Formats: sequence, structure tokens, C-alpha cells
Amino acid sequence: MPDEPKLAEELKKMEYEELLPVEKKLISYSLILGTALLGILVWISYTFFPAGH
Amino acid sequence: MEEKRQGISEDWLSLWLGAFIFILSLLAFAGGDILGWGIATKEWTDISKAMSPVSKTYVSVTGEITKIDGSKLTLKKADGKTEEITVKEDTAALKVGDMYEKKGISGFMSLVLTYLFMTLVMTVGAAALRANVGKFILSFTIVFWISYACWLIGHYAYIAATDAKKAGVPWSLKLTGEAGFIVALIAGLAVGNFFPKLADKLKEAIRPELYIKTAIVLMGGLLGVKAAESLGLATAVMFRGLCAIVEAYLIYWALVYFIARKYFKFSREWAAPLASGISICGVSAAIATGGAIRARPIVPIMVSSLVVIFAVIELIVLPFMAQTALWKEPLVAGAWMGLAVKTDGAAVASGAVTDALIRAKAMSMDGVNYKDGWITMTATTVKLFIDIFIGVWAFILAYIWCAKIECKTGEKVGAGEIWNRFPKFVLGYAVTFLLLLMICLPASKAIGPVEKEINTIKDEIALTEKQLPSVTDPAALAALNEKITSGKERMKSLSEEIKGPKTTLANAKTSTSGSNSFRVMFFVLTFFTIGVVSNFKKLWEEGIGKLAAVYVLCLFGFIIWIGLIISWIFFHGVKPPVITG
Repeated sequence: MPDEPKLAEELKKMEYEELLPVEKKLISYSLILGTALLGILVWISYTFFPAGH
Repeated sequence: MEEKRQGISEDWLSLWLGAFIFILSLLAFAGGDILGWGIATKEWTDISKAMSPVSKTYVSVTGEITKIDGSKLTLKKADGKTEEITVKEDTAALKVGDMYEKKGISGFMSLVLTYLFMTLVMTVGAAALRANVGKFILSFTIVFWISYACWLIGHYAYIAATDAKKAGVPWSLKLTGEAGFIVALIAGLAVGNFFPKLADKLKEAIRPELYIKTAIVLMGGLLGVKAAESLGLATAVMFRGLCAIVEAYLIYWALVYFIARKYFKFSREWAAPLASGISICGVSAAIATGGAIRARPIVPIMVSSLVVIFAVIELIVLPFMAQTALWKEPLVAGAWMGLAVKTDGAAVASGAVTDALIRAKAMSMDGVNYKDGWITMTATTVKLFIDIFIGVWAFILAYIWCAKIECKTGEKVGAGEIWNRFPKFVLGYAVTFLLLLMICLPASKAIGPVEKEINTIKDEIALTEKQLPSVTDPAALAALNEKITSGKERMKSLSEEIKGPKTTLANAKTSTSGSNSFRVMFFVLTFFTIGVVSNFKKLWEEGIGKLAAVYVLCLFGFIIWIGLIISWIFFHGVKPPVITG
């Protein structure tokens, strides 16, 4: 059984990496899609699956 | 290669264990109440009365016969209470005033049988996992008895009673019997943090994910019966749960990843598993994401250790917050637990505690008696949808990482990854749920309108009987009596009409009450073992500060609150069915 790696050492090894354009896209598309879907999904659930509204 | 030596995965094992117990419980439909001897625990002031077998078939009963109606006997027991029982023997030889005695098994014997059965089943499971069977039996025995002792303590009337007067105690914490879960958690935390040697000795049986997943498979059947009784509500809960998850994935993950990368300067290797661990589903999501982006194994393991600790904090705090603020919106509270609390065990466990706390509060504040299980069902549904999507999310991340971020030559991402990451125990939940739904739905549909008609006739008869004393005209009196007689005959024929469907529902309830006894025990084991694995000393480990800071900031800064908003948007106004009469 090898020694358990220390968290502190692992974090120290971590190098800074610039936020890539593709990551920015992933984040922004995800948030935009989430917000847009919110309205659509709320409408579908209130219209087709009413339960108390 | 390592994977093979470890035998079957806990995920698959939970599916088989749950399926085995579920199949045994289904024998109720063939007239065999085969799991009815399982333990049921009641609120107590006298411990000798706390335990009994879950099914009346196995309970000893003695009393004076006060009424005989076919195979149904009404008995007056020594404590003055009356009880109606259904007997299998011929009742022609019995008469009112006779003493009736049926021998069953004691509560303690029921507990011993439950222990023996669970030990046997779990030992077979341990062998399949390639665990050390001898050590497993010993540690499972200790885990079982400590857990049950906690469950029993939680049912002490001073802790559990929602109506202290009725329970015969001067005061009560009003926590319901589910307080036993919290007691088990506290006991587990004590063992895990203050008795590390004992915790180490018990480690073969410290498997919270295995216990909760098995419990979830069993819960499927129980919820199937509930859903059959209120299909519209169940469908709405499921669809809204699905919507809530889509929202949570898209919003949570992106925000946590952004914060971890931009403000805490985490590398991609750390930020992605961290985002999944905090925002999605704790341990399994962190591991799946770690695998998807080819992070070193150490990264998701480190993240997972934090996930478990904070899940316990959420489990202790959030149900009580929900009881205080959301007792008028029970299903918002259920969805919130599913969305906000990480790890399957802690999330479903929080749902169960919230279920008990909110029903108790609604009962004491408004006199509203919600049917049990709906809040747990909502939390479970939301959590299971999260689990199902982990595979899809891991696939998307793997594709983006492979194609756009760190593309390694020759590396391909196959759709098979989705199946590899798919939580298999969910299949067990789906099958048990759908099977009992399909069995009970036609019966429930047949009974509903007929019972409505019976109740209408009943009301009419009651109204007519009220008119009787004021009527003197013989012709009018005869007409009223005729109306009552024909009403009663109609009621009798209607009752006869739904006898078959009623038997189906009764069998389904016998079946689920048997398996539910074991589901509850798996829940209690989950709480205790979650406590044992939650080593809070990790929080003092050198270097944890930065990781914990991003975790705390995201979890308590917005994950919990966005989860609450999403739950509110989709579930407000949706209420569990109410028990009337």
C-alpha cells in the first residue's frame, strides 16, 4: 500500500492555467442554456403536468 | 485488473440485493406474507412494547370476541383497546364473548430474525464483493446492533412523540421516530471521530452507499403503490424533478467551475471534479468527472473526502431549516434536499428526516395530516435523476476535453461511457416502481370511482336516517326506509364489485410493508455508517483550506440557495395527498 499523498503537496504542485476560450464558452453556453430552458421547462410543467397550480 | 479482484461493484450488488428482497416480498400476491416477521419499531415509554413484527400475521393477539363479520373478528384486549383481525380458520365455531388467542412471535424474536436474515443476505453480498467474509460478519453484527439501538432510542416518546399527552409523557422533542436516524448519525460520527480503532475494525461493514442503494431499490415498490393512488401527482413530481435537474446541472456546474478557475486559480484537473463534486452528486460525480477528463485518481479522492464531510453537515442542518421555513411547501422541501445535499445516502436520508419533521409540524400547526413518503419520494426522484445524468455529463466533458482542451493522440470517447457511468441500482428502483405501479394502477382506478359512489350513498343514507324521527306519515316513512334499504343493498353490491381490486391493493401493501421493514433498517445502517466515514479531522489537514474555502463558498454561498429557488419554482403549490377522516 503506497503512502497516502498529502493534499498540501498535491495543491502546491498545481500550476496556474489560463482560462481558455473553450472553457469560457462552456461556462457561458451552459448558463445561457440553463436560463433559457428555465422558462420553457416551467411553462411545460405548469401546462402539461399541473399539480396544485 | 484491480477491479476484477474486487469482485462485483457495490452498485450492481445493491441492485441484486434489493431485487432479491423485493421478489420475496412479491410472494404476498400468492398469499404468502413471507417477510412479515421483519421488525417494526413504535414510539415507546415501555421498552417491552417498542418492537413487534411488521405484519399482524405474525403478532400474538389475545382478547374477547366482541364482533364476528365473516373472517373478521373484533377483539377487546386486556388493556381495553379493541382490534380488528382477519383470521384464516373457520369462524363458525367461534361466538361473541369467547376468548380468542393467536400465537405469534415476540418483538425481540422479530428483531433477531431480522438480524439473522440481513446478516445472511449481506454476507452473500460481501462474498460477491470479495470482502473478508469472517470480518464482515463480525463488523456487520456490531454495526447492526448499534444502529438498531440508536433507532430504538430515537423512538423514545420523549424524543419522538408528536403529541406528548397522547403518548403519556409530560413533554417531547416532537422529532418523530425518524429521530432514530439522527441518533444513528451522531453515534456514527462519535465512532468515526473519537474511536478510530473501532471504526477501523468495523470497516468491512461500513458501506453507506451499498446500504442506501439497496434501500432505494426497495423503496421503488413502495413508491409505486403510492404513485398508483395519485398518478397525476406522481407524474408531476417526476417531470418537475427532471426539469429541476436540467437546471441544476447547467447552472451549478458552470458557476462552480468558473469560481474555482477564475478566483481560486485551480487547474482544470482540480476544478472540474471539484465542480462536479460540489454541484452535482458528490462522490460519484467527482470520480466520473475525474475519469472523463483523465485527472489523476488522487484528485477526485481528495474532493470526495470533503464531499462526504459537508454532506453530513447539510444532513444535520437542512432538514431542520426546511421544517422551519418550508413546512407549508412540503415538496419544495423534498426537492431541495435532493438538489442541495450531496451523496445519495445523505440526500435520501435528508428527504426521510424532512418527511417526518414536516409532517409532524403540519399536523401540529394546521392539523393537516400529509401521507408519508411523498417528501422522501421527491428527494429521491430528484437525486436519482441527478445520478442518471452523471453518465451523460461525464460523456459531454470527456468529449470536450478530448476534442478541445487536452486532446491526446489516439484517444476516443465512446457513447459506451454513458452506460459505464450509469448507476445500475437505478434500474432496480425503476423496475420495482413500475412493476407495482402496473399491478396497482388498474386496481386503484377501479376502486376510486366506486368508493366515491359508496361514500355518496353513505351520506345520503345518513341524511335519510336523520329525517326518520321527524316523519310521522307511514307512507313517507316507508319510502324513506325503502331508500335506506336500497342504498345499503347498492353499497353491498358495489363493495362486492371492487373486492378483487381491493385484494390486489391489500396484497401490494402487505408486500411493501414486508420489504419496507428492511428498507428502514438499511436506512438506519446508512445513517450510522455515513457518520463513521465522516472524518472531520480531514478539515484540519494541512493544505485543505483552499479546497474547503471554495467548497464552503459555493455550497453555502449559492448551491443551496439556487437549489431552493429551483425547487420553489417547480414545486411550490404541489402538495402531498392528505389523509382524511
